[in-house]
Amino acid sequence: MARVHNWQIGREMSYWYPESRPSRQFAAIFDINKCIACQTCTLACKTTWTSGRGQEYMLWNNVESKPYGFYPLAWDLKLLKELGPQEWKEGTYEGRTIFEAARPGERALGWRPDDIDYANPNVGEDDCVGQVENGAGLEVPHLNWFFYLARICNHCTYPACLASCPRGSIYKRPEDGIVLVDQGRCRGYQECVKACPYKKVFFNPMTGTSEKCIACFPKFEQGLQPQCFVNCIGKIRMAGWISPPDKARPDNPIDYLVHIKKIAKPLFPQFGLEPNVYYIPPIHAPSSFLNQMFGPGTEAAIKAYRNADDDLAGLLALFGCTEKVMPRWKRQGDMVIAMEENGSEMLRVPMREPVHIRPAFDIRHGVTRTNCP
Amino acid sequence: MKKSSLLPVLLAAVVLVAACQKSTHAPSPDVRVVSRTSLPADPNDPAWSTVPVHVAPLVLQDMVEPRLIQASTAQVEVRAISDGSRVVFRLSWADGTKDDSVRPAHFSDACAVQLPAKVQTDVPAPQMGEAGKTVEITYWKASWQASVDGRKDTIKEVYPGAAVDHYPFEAASLPTDSDAQKEMALRYSPARALGNTMAGPRKKPVEDLIAEGPGSLTPAPAGTSDGKGLRTEKGWVVVLSRAMPAGLNSSGRSQVAFAVWEGSHEEAGARKMRTGWVPVVLEKKS
Repeated sequence: MARVHNWQIGREMSYWYPESRPSRQFAAIFDINKCIACQTCTLACKTTWTSGRGQEYMLWNNVESKPYGFYPLAWDLKLLKELGPQEWKEGTYEGRTIFEAARPGERALGWRPDDIDYANPNVGEDDCVGQVENGAGLEVPHLNWFFYLARICNHCTYPACLASCPRGSIYKRPEDGIVLVDQGRCRGYQECVKACPYKKVFFNPMTGTSEKCIACFPKFEQGLQPQCFVNCIGKIRMAGWISPPDKARPDNPIDYLVHIKKIAKPLFPQFGLEPNVYYIPPIHAPSSFLNQMFGPGTEAAIKAYRNADDDLAGLLALFGCTEKVMPRWKRQGDMVIAMEENGSEMLRVPMREPVHIRPAFDIRHGVTRTNCP
Repeated sequence: MKKSSLLPVLLAAVVLVAACQKSTHAPSPDVRVVSRTSLPADPNDPAWSTVPVHVAPLVLQDMVEPRLIQASTAQVEVRAISDGSRVVFRLSWADGTKDDSVRPAHFSDACAVQLPAKVQTDVPAPQMGEAGKTVEITYWKASWQASVDGRKDTIKEVYPGAAVDHYPFEAASLPTDSDAQKEMALRYSPARALGNTMAGPRKKPVEDLIAEGPGSLTPAPAGTSDGKGLRTEKGWVVVLSRAMPAGLNSSGRSQVAFAVWEGSHEEAGARKMRTGWVPVVLEKKS
C-alpha cells in the first residue's frame, strides 16, 4: 500500500498504487434538484453501449430514488453497514476508507452483488420516507421526502476497481482520467465488481468479462459531452475537467462549482476513492442524510445554491446548452458565455429568458388562449 | 496405549503399506508419466486404470492478494500418459456442486496444470512463475466444457426466464448470419471483438497460457492443448492434453503443479487451491 493524498477527505490515505494524477481529469456535475427521473439518460446510454448479449441487465447509467431505491439492491447500505459508523471532524475524515478497512487477503472492503440484486432497477421508485400528511411538503427540508440520484461511473482518482484487479486489466487514462476495463485482457474474476463501492462495474455472462461506463470517451476525445449528458431533458448535467483544489480556476465551470462555490459534492467521499462526479444536493432532504451521502458541507452548499448570485445563477444556466464540453466560462451582464480553452467564444446564453405577455383572448383568430401545451 | 501393544499395530501398518506399493493403484510420491502408444482422450478410458495415481494435497493460494482465506478442495488425484510427443494429465477431484456457468457472483469450476517452460536448475516460483522464468499452464474450465458440449450462446441458457425485446443485430435490415449482422453483434461485445479468449463461444474447453509471476497470465502464442471434462456423482474428472513439456524426456525429470477452482466458493483467478511443485518423471518405454 502507498500513501496518497485525497483532498475530499482532507488527509493522506492508503491506496494500492502511488499517487499518479492524470494531466486532466474528467469530471461532472449533476444538479439533483432538476432531475425528474425520466430515465432518458439511462436509455441514451443503454442504446449506445449496452444493447448486446450479456448486457441485458447492465445500466452503466441509472437513476434511483433515495432513500429506498437502489441498483443493485442496497449497494450503498451494505457497504455502509460493513464499514460501520465513522467520524468526520472539521472537514477531515477520521474514519477508515474502504482501502484501510480491507479484510485480510483483500485489497479493498467490498461485497459482490448476486445476480438477483440487479433484478429490480426501479425498486423504491418514488417511495417517500413516510406518509405525506396534508401540507407536509410545504416545509424545507420536507418532513417526508425522496430525491432522484442519477449515477454513472465516478471515474475515481483512486478507483477501487483498478486497485482490486489482480492482473492490471483496468487502467486510468493519463490524458483524461477516464477509467476503463481492457476488454482484451480481462479474465472475468469479478474482483472489480466486488471492490467498486458504487457497483458500477458489471459482469457480462456471455463474454465472461467485466464492463463499465466509458464516459463516452470517443465523444469526449472530440470535445463532446457523453450521451447521458446531452440527452438529459432536465439539463441537470455538465461534463468537463476538474483541477486539484490548489490549482482551481474560477473560469473553469467545474472548478467554480466544486472548489470556489463548493455547492457540488462527491458521492460517499468517505469511501476514499475521490470520485469525480459531483452532486448539487437536493434542497428539500434532511442534512443528516445528505451529509452521510455527500460528506460535510451540504447545508452550506444548499444555502449558496438557494441564494445564488448572478455568477452562480449564470453558470447554472449553461447546463445542457450545448453538446460541447465547455472548458471555460464568464458572465457579461445578463449574458453567460461558454468559451473554448483558448478563450474564444463557444456560445452565449441569456440569464433570463425574455417574457412576453399576451392577452387572454386572441382577437385575430377569435379564440381564447390557454396555458395548456 | 502401552508401547508393547502399539508395536503389532505399527508392524501391520508397515506390511500394509508395502503391499499397496506393489499395486499399480497405490499412490505414487511423484507424478509418473506412463508411456503408451496411444493417448486416451476420454476421462473414462480404461487405459487410465493401469496408470499410477499421485494424490496431490491442495493448499490455499495465500501468497498474493487477492488471497483465498478458507480452504475448499482438499486434494486432486493425478494420472499421466505420454506417447512421446504429447502428454495427457487426468485430474479428478471431489466437488459437491456442479458450477459450469458464469454470471454475476457465480463462478465456474476449473483446474489447471502448470510446468516450467525451460529446464533449469533453479525452478520458477510455483505460484505462477516469476520474471524471466516462464511457466506454461493448461487451463480447463467447466463453463467452456458446457459450451463445447452444446450449450447455446444465448442469454436464455444462463437465465431461462429472460425476456429480451430486441438486439440491434436482429434488425430486419441485417440478413441472418450475414457479415453485417455479425459485425453489429460485435459492436456490443467488445471482448469478442478484441479476440479475448475468455469471451467464447468455445471450440475447446482448455486454453494454453504462460505466466511470469502473479498477474502476468497471458494466452500462449500458439496453443495446441485440448481436453475434456466429465461430471461424476462425486466431482469432476478432466483430461488435459498438451505438447511434451521441456525436459520431460526419457532421462529427464521436471516439475509440475496443479490448481483447482471451486466455483461455488467464489474461486477465480488468484483465489484457488493449489499445489507446490511436484516431481514429474517420464517412465521409460517398456
